[in-house]
Amino acid sequence: MLSNKELYRISKRVYREGILHGQLQSAGSDQARFLEKIDKDKTQRSPDIILKIMSAIYIAGLVTIPIFALITIHSTLSSGIDPSWVTFVGSLSVSGFLVMQPAILLIFSFMFTWGIMSGGPYKWIHTLPLGRKDIERIGFFTFLRSINVQLISMSLVLPTGIVVSIVVVLGSEISVLSLILLIVSSLLLSIINLVFNLSLLVIISRKMAIIMEDQEVNSRKTNIIRVVSMILYMIIAMGVMYLIQIAIAKIPELYAMQSWTADTTNVVNIILSIIPFPFAGGYLLTIIAMDFTNVSGVLIGGSLLGLILFIFLTYFIYKKALSTLRNISSTELKKYSMEKKEVFVEDITIKTSGPTLAFLKRDFAIITREMSSIMIMIMPFMIPLYMLFIPIDAQVTIGPAGLTIVMIIMLFYVSMVSVMLVMGLTNIESGGSTITASLPISVRDQVKSKVPHFVVTIPLALIVAMLMRIGTSQFTQLISFALAFLPVIPIVCLASLFFKAFLFGKMKHKIVLEEIKLERKVVKHILVFVFTFGLMAAFIFVSAYGFLYLGIAEVVSAILLYITYNIMFPK
Amino acid sequence: MITEKSAMVSVTNLTKSFGTVVAVNDISFEVKPGEIFGLLGPNGAGKTTTVKQILGLLEQEQGEIKVFGLDPGKDDVEIKRNIGYVSEDPLIYKSMTPRMLFNFIASIRGMDESETTKKLQYYFESLEAVEYYDKLVATLSRGNKQKMQVIAALIHEPLLLIMDEPLTGLDAKSAKVVKEILELHKERGGSVIFSTHILEVAEEMCDRIAIMDKGKIIAMGTVEELSKMANKVGADLEDIFLKLTNQDESVNHIVKNLRNMINGNKRS
Repeated sequence: MLSNKELYRISKRVYREGILHGQLQSAGSDQARFLEKIDKDKTQRSPDIILKIMSAIYIAGLVTIPIFALITIHSTLSSGIDPSWVTFVGSLSVSGFLVMQPAILLIFSFMFTWGIMSGGPYKWIHTLPLGRKDIERIGFFTFLRSINVQLISMSLVLPTGIVVSIVVVLGSEISVLSLILLIVSSLLLSIINLVFNLSLLVIISRKMAIIMEDQEVNSRKTNIIRVVSMILYMIIAMGVMYLIQIAIAKIPELYAMQSWTADTTNVVNIILSIIPFPFAGGYLLTIIAMDFTNVSGVLIGGSLLGLILFIFLTYFIYKKALSTLRNISSTELKKYSMEKKEVFVEDITIKTSGPTLAFLKRDFAIITREMSSIMIMIMPFMIPLYMLFIPIDAQVTIGPAGLTIVMIIMLFYVSMVSVMLVMGLTNIESGGSTITASLPISVRDQVKSKVPHFVVTIPLALIVAMLMRIGTSQFTQLISFALAFLPVIPIVCLASLFFKAFLFGKMKHKIVLEEIKLERKVVKHILVFVFTFGLMAAFIFVSAYGFLYLGIAEVVSAILLYITYNIMFPK
Repeated sequence: MITEKSAMVSVTNLTKSFGTVVAVNDISFEVKPGEIFGLLGPNGAGKTTTVKQILGLLEQEQGEIKVFGLDPGKDDVEIKRNIGYVSEDPLIYKSMTPRMLFNFIASIRGMDESETTKKLQYYFESLEAVEYYDKLVATLSRGNKQKMQVIAALIHEPLLLIMDEPLTGLDAKSAKVVKEILELHKERGGSVIFSTHILEVAEEMCDRIAIMDKGKIIAMGTVEELSKMANKVGADLEDIFLKLTNQDESVNHIVKNLRNMINGNKRS
C-alpha cells in the first residue's frame, strides 16, 4: 500500500491524462489538428487552470446576491414591509445562489471531468503494480484535483461573506445568538452544499461520459452535448456579472413589490421551506438573519425539516457518487453493443449533383458534425445574446447617439464573426486534403458554394438580434439600421475570403482557397482581420452621411467584388 | 490533349527548396505507360514533395514537370481528371460517411450515376467494405480508411495512379486484391507511381525503381540494375537499398550494440 501523499502525486498524471482525454473528446473529428496544436503550444495543455479560477471567481462574485439580500433585511423590515414577503424574497436570493453554484461547477468543470469519468485515463494505471484499493484512492484524488480551486471557493465564500458583512453592516442590528447561529448555519450549509454539488458533478459527468464514449466520435448526439455545454458556458461566462448587477439593483424593488396576501405568502413559504434543495437552506439563513422576527414556528420547523431532508439526500447522492468513483477507477466503461445494421451491396448507390451543390452538401455534413465548425456557425447567433446583454435602456446609451454607438459595437462584432466564418469555411478544405488534392476542383465553384453561408448566417443572426428589441422605442431605428447593413455583410465576408485566398493561396497560375503559403501565417491572419475591420469601418463611416450613400457604396462594392471574383477565379 | 503513347510523367531537373532546406535537388525521371514506377527513400528523402509537385499542389521552382504532356502548375484540373491519388496519411473527411464522400467525388468528377454505382459495388465487395458504407469515416479503422482512399483513387479509372504507401493498414486479403488491381491497371496501359517503405512489395510490383536520398535520386533502374550498382548481385532490395543509401554500416553497428546489450543483461 502506498501512502496518500504518493497516491496524490500519482493522481496528477491521471488527472493530466483525463484533461487530454476530455479535450480530445471536445475536439471531435478535429483531434489530429488539436494534437498538432498542443504539440506546438504548451499552454494549450492546461486550459483547466483558467476555467477553475474563473468558476471560483464567479462563485465568489455570486455570493454578493444573498449577502446583499440578508444585510438589507433589517432596513426592509423596519420600513414596514410584510415579514412573510421579506422572508420569501430573502430566501429566494439565497436559494438562487445555492442553485447557481452547481450550475457553474458543472458547466465549467464538465469539459474536463467527463474525460476523467470515462475511465480511459485509468487504463495505464492498471498496467502498474498497484493494488485495487490504491487505484480507488487514486480515482478519488484525481477527482479532487479537478475541482480543488472551486472547492475552496465553494466551502469558504458563504460563511466568510456572512461574517464580513455581519461585522461591517449588521453588527449592532442582530442579536449575538442569531449572529453565532448565522455563522454556524452558513458553514454547515456550505459543507452540505459542497458535498451535494460534488456528488452531483460525479454522477452527471459519469452519465455524460457514458454517452460520449458510447457514441461515434462525430455523431450528432455527442455534438449536441458539446454544443449545449459550450453555449451554456458562454451564457454563464457572459451573463453572471450582468446577473449580479441586475440582482443587486432589483432586490430592494422586489422587497417592496409584494404580489400576494400575507396568508398566501406564508403558505408558499412553508411549502418551499420543506423542499430540501435549494430552498430549505435559503429559508434557514433568512430566518436567522431576520433575528426570528415575526417568523412562525411552523416555518422554522419546516426549514429545519427541509435541512434534515437535504442532509439525507446529500448522504444518498454522496454514497452513489462514491460508488461511481470506485467503479471508474477500477473498471473501464463498458462498451454498449450497438444495433448492427446489415448493409447489402445493393445499398451502395451514388447520387450526384452539380459541383457547387456538392460543395454545399459536403460543407453542411462537416459543419453539423465537427465541433470547431459548429462553434463558428453558432458564433453569429451569439449576437442576439450580446444584444440582450447590452443595457440599451440604461442612461448612457439612451437617445440616437447612444443607439449609434450600440450599432457600431454590434457591427464590429459582426465583422469579427465574418472573419471567423471565412476562416472556418476555408478550414473545411484542409480536412480532406487527400481527396481534394486529387479532384479536378474548380476554385470558382468552391467560392460559389460559400456565398449562401455569407448571405444567410450572419444577416439572419443580425435580424434576430434586432427582433430581441421588438416593442421597445428603439426597435424601428435598430431594424432600419440592420436592414440597411444587410448587403454589407456578404460583401465584407466575400472580400475577406478573397483577401485571405490572395495571401494564403496565390500560386503562379492560379489562386486556391486552401492555405498553401504558410510563411508568416500569423501576420497574414492579422492582415485579414485588419482588412475586414477596415472595410466594415469604411461602410459605417459612409453610413454616417445617410442610407442613400450607404446604398451607393454597397452597389459599387458589389460590382468591384464581382470583377475581382472573375479576375481571381476565372472560368 | 492527353496522349497515352508519350511518357505519362516526365520530370526534368526538378529542384524545390523550403527556406534553406533543399527538399528536391535536380531530379529527373520518366514514367511510361503500362509501368509501375517505384519511388523509394528514407523519411525526408523528398518523395512527398515530388508527388505534390506532380499533382500541382506545390509550385515548381526550377526544372520542368509534364503530366500527360501538360504542366501541373497551369493545367492541374485537366490533369486531375486522369489521376488517382492515395496519400500516406489518409486525410479524408472524417465527418462524412463513405456514401456522402463518394457522392461528393462523383459529383465533382461529373460521373455517371449508374455506371459509378456498379463500379463502387464491385470495389466495396472486393475489399469487403460494404458494411462501412454508412459509417462515419472517423469511426473506421486505419485499414478501412485506406480502403476508402484506394477506392476513391480507382473509381474514375484514371490513367495514372500516384500511391504513397497504399497497402498500409490493409489485411493480407485486401492487400492482395489491391496489388491485383494495380497489375490489371498496368496491363490496360495505365501507370503507377508507387512510393513505399515495404521493400518486398516494391521488389514484387515495381518495373523500375528510383531510390531517393536527401532530395536526390541516387540510383534508378530495375531491381537487377540496382543490385549491380550496389555490387550486391543476387541480394534482396532491402540490402541493395541500405547499401545505396549508405545505411548498411550504421544498421550493422546498431544490431551489434543491441546484441551486446541484450546478452549483457541476460537473466541467470
